[in-house]
Amino acid sequence: MKYGVYIELFGEFYEGTVFIYGTTLLLIYAFLAIMSLVAVRKFKVLDSRVDYTLLLNSIHTPGISVIAPAYNETITILENVHSLLNLNYPKYEVIIVNDGSTDDSLEKMIAEFDLIEVDFAYNERLKTKPVKRIFRSTNLAYSKLVVVDKINGKSKADASNAGINVSSFDYFLCTDVDSILDRDAIMKLIKPIMEETDKRLIAIGATLRMANSCVVDQGFMQKVVMPKQLLPRFQEIEYIRSFVMGKMGWSTINSVPNVSGGLGLFDREIVINSGGYDPNSFGEDMELVIRMMVYCVNYNIDYSIRYIPLTLCWTEGPSTLRVYGRQRSRWARGLAQLMYAHRKVIFNPRYGKLGLIVMPYNFVFELLAPIVEALGIIYYIIIIILDAVNWPYAILLLVFVYSYAIMISTLSILWDQLTYHTYKTWREILLLCFTAMFEMIIYHPLIVFFSLKGYFNFLANRKHSWGNMQRQGFGQAAQTRAITASN
Amino acid sequence: MLSFIVADSLFGPFFRKYFYYYDSYPVVIQIAVFLTAVAISATIIAYLSIIFRRGKGYLTDVRTRKINTFIDNLITDNIIFNEEILAGVPPQDVKLDLEPFQKQVFSQGWVKQALVDRLIYFANSFSGDRNLLFKRLFVELELEKLSFNKLKSFNNSTKILGLVELTSMSVAVADVLILPLTNSRNRKLRSEARIAYIKLSKNDPFKFFDDATEPLLLWDQLELFKIITTTEGLTIPNFARWITYSTNKSIVSFCLKLVVHYNQHAAIPSIVKLLDNKDHYLRVEAIKCLGKLKADDIEEKLIAIYNNQPLNCQIEILKAIGRFSTGKQIQFLRGEFIRTSDFDIKKNAARSLINHGRAAKDIVQNLIDTATADGAIILKHCMNPLIKY
Amino acid sequence: MPTNNIAAKKILLIDDDELILKVMNRILTKEGYNVIAVNNGKDALEKIEAEKYDMVITDLMMPYSNGFEIISKFKQHPNALNVPIIVISSVGTESAIKEGLNIGADDYIRKPIMPDELLIRIKRLIKE
Repeated sequence: MKYGVYIELFGEFYEGTVFIYGTTLLLIYAFLAIMSLVAVRKFKVLDSRVDYTLLLNSIHTPGISVIAPAYNETITILENVHSLLNLNYPKYEVIIVNDGSTDDSLEKMIAEFDLIEVDFAYNERLKTKPVKRIFRSTNLAYSKLVVVDKINGKSKADASNAGINVSSFDYFLCTDVDSILDRDAIMKLIKPIMEETDKRLIAIGATLRMANSCVVDQGFMQKVVMPKQLLPRFQEIEYIRSFVMGKMGWSTINSVPNVSGGLGLFDREIVINSGGYDPNSFGEDMELVIRMMVYCVNYNIDYSIRYIPLTLCWTEGPSTLRVYGRQRSRWARGLAQLMYAHRKVIFNPRYGKLGLIVMPYNFVFELLAPIVEALGIIYYIIIIILDAVNWPYAILLLVFVYSYAIMISTLSILWDQLTYHTYKTWREILLLCFTAMFEMIIYHPLIVFFSLKGYFNFLANRKHSWGNMQRQGFGQAAQTRAITASN
Repeated sequence: MLSFIVADSLFGPFFRKYFYYYDSYPVVIQIAVFLTAVAISATIIAYLSIIFRRGKGYLTDVRTRKINTFIDNLITDNIIFNEEILAGVPPQDVKLDLEPFQKQVFSQGWVKQALVDRLIYFANSFSGDRNLLFKRLFVELELEKLSFNKLKSFNNSTKILGLVELTSMSVAVADVLILPLTNSRNRKLRSEARIAYIKLSKNDPFKFFDDATEPLLLWDQLELFKIITTTEGLTIPNFARWITYSTNKSIVSFCLKLVVHYNQHAAIPSIVKLLDNKDHYLRVEAIKCLGKLKADDIEEKLIAIYNNQPLNCQIEILKAIGRFSTGKQIQFLRGEFIRTSDFDIKKNAARSLINHGRAAKDIVQNLIDTATADGAIILKHCMNPLIKY
Repeated sequence: MPTNNIAAKKILLIDDDELILKVMNRILTKEGYNVIAVNNGKDALEKIEAEKYDMVITDLMMPYSNGFEIISKFKQHPNALNVPIIVISSVGTESAIKEGLNIGADDYIRKPIMPDELLIRIKRLIKE
């Protein structure tokens, strides 16, 4: 039984490592849960008395550029641009980047908003695919609107970069043209920037949710409804946990790893100096945020990145397994790419919290987690076959991990409910909590599987992907949206 | 019964063997069992509190909506349609009928608080004579006692709420109560206390400008600016005092904004001194302020220092020259436009030339004809009325 | 004081602030105007399509269509001929006021509102 010895040796090593790994992860979650609760409660008390109309009346209100790339969104483009033009903020511009759409979305915008081509002094500070034309409206009511027509760059990153080049204000809000924003989104996001004491707030985000079953009328959120389909509902739980508990918790110690591409307010100068979005990245939002942090450390800028526990953006989540799988594999691949590109930062004390908290956490507990889990399952199968399982211990540990996971998800839902009664009925919340119980056996294996697929793609195509990029999920997201919107 | 026996004979040995001897488990497993119990109870508590909050929230919503409609109608009937006001009696002489607001319902704490909230909402929505009546009603109903009680709380958030209520309703507060709070370690409380101090204090309201050491945040500046510029009867000092002597950069930059608002030309000499300041962000603010004040006699000096300035100051100088539009520096702007390869300098030089209007019209046309394609497009960009920035 | 000559005047009042909508509705009705109150841009545009008004009073920031958009669409509509428009808004910066007047508003009133002032301005603009 030579193999048995090896397996036993591996087993001891694996069990020891996994024990430390698991305990650390559980402690981190407990920490995040406590920190985010404190932060959420504090936010709620103070925000209720904030007079946001101060921003409307002051000539000192900072200007904001809202950047939304669009690719073949003809069905919803007019409604969505209208809704972006209707945010509660006195000084902002809306930049729609038409990324070489092959449908008639540009023509539709030209007709609806009385657009004409203008001689625009375009300063290409970030290199992108060529910008063909820039349009402004002759109708004073749409004077906020800028439409950029560019050659398709096969990525949201390239289109966003063109938008950044056109933008005229110090801060820009990055979103998708098919996302639905809360009308107060800019006011809520700019306030922390104006309240930052001695650090430079380079990026700020807020909670994103699923728009799948919500009632949307002419680009406006009429009624928030919890996703009726199972897959988006699992994603809703995942988003709440990752935003309200994860990012809010990390925000309290200034270690937010990512500001989502769906909604984020960024410091334009830092973004441009750190090189803008990377069109070759599979996870361009996180990649940019990490690169901005690296830039700030390199140039001795005392930065901060924050989160606010309000849902300010709704986005359509994939509702079929195929689309979902592609999205997750892409994200996983993006994470692997990112960790590889910035491997020198991991555990590097020179980078402060970025080097010692943000990168190690994401490397060990985000990137490696699917691998550790997969190995665990294989290991279990082997010892089951060898009949070397201590069943009662195994069951007790499993029950423990399972109940802990459910607790974390349920607490996130509770924290989220503290700030705002998102759903109209209590039945929705209970159903959401109920769904959380099956997350680990139904939804979680999917994440592990698609992540591993993404890592495999990363390893298999590493050289290839540098020069030659496949179209990313941007177009994919557009498709799903178009399909659901036409229903 | 049979099934019970079958079940017991199947699972019994298993359980007896392993689970009954909790004490003999390894420590790790014991901890795991313990934490499982914790996790399950936490989950159940979370469920209960979600349901409880939901129910409570629902009831509060219904209750508040009902009482708010009631209060709104009461205020509208008695204040908005106050007969004396409609007849032209000055608001300070109107005799307020307090009786409807002293009904039985208002003895409840939460109803009183709702009344306070609605009064603040009304006061924020309507100005003029009615506004004064809301504030008088607040005081005459002795609702300010509620707010003063909040000030005594140990909880900073509650203190802040109390201060906000008092400031919104312009209730005079003794300096001894606010001054200690202006130095509180809680940032939000400190800033609200300063706002209250400026608005409500009878003595030297700008006192904290002298000794504030930590930065005055942009958001606080927004609030202070509003309070300073809208509070009636406030004596506006010459802000040059702080521009010259304050070591707090944010106070200086805030004073520059106020100088622009009040068009205080007397402060120009002290602003000019800032041009020698080491901090280039502050220099930018100073140049911007001079431009907005149209202090065109320092134009020469700005041109003289131009070449030694970093990019952001140079851009601000170009903007200032555009704001002055004296016509004396057209050649300078033209020279900068042609000389530079920097996009922002070119754009601002072009914009300032165009701001000169007729005086620079020929030069602009000449530049469009002779400049490179990029240069010409910058000029056209700045001339296009559809493009704002 | 209410007089007969303004009794039939119809005013479209658009504001998403329920309190202002409610209170202004009562004030104007008391003055003898016929007030149609809506709280969002979509309903406002439908009302404009439906009938002719003697005056439109609109807020700027609202769901669906903002005040500028409403004014600009309204101005193109045959029902809009010689109908005065007043903007009431909490946006009080010079540039916003200029923009509002340029788009075609006849008057621009900042919030918080002075009801008596608003009434005088309405009376001045609604002429026989």
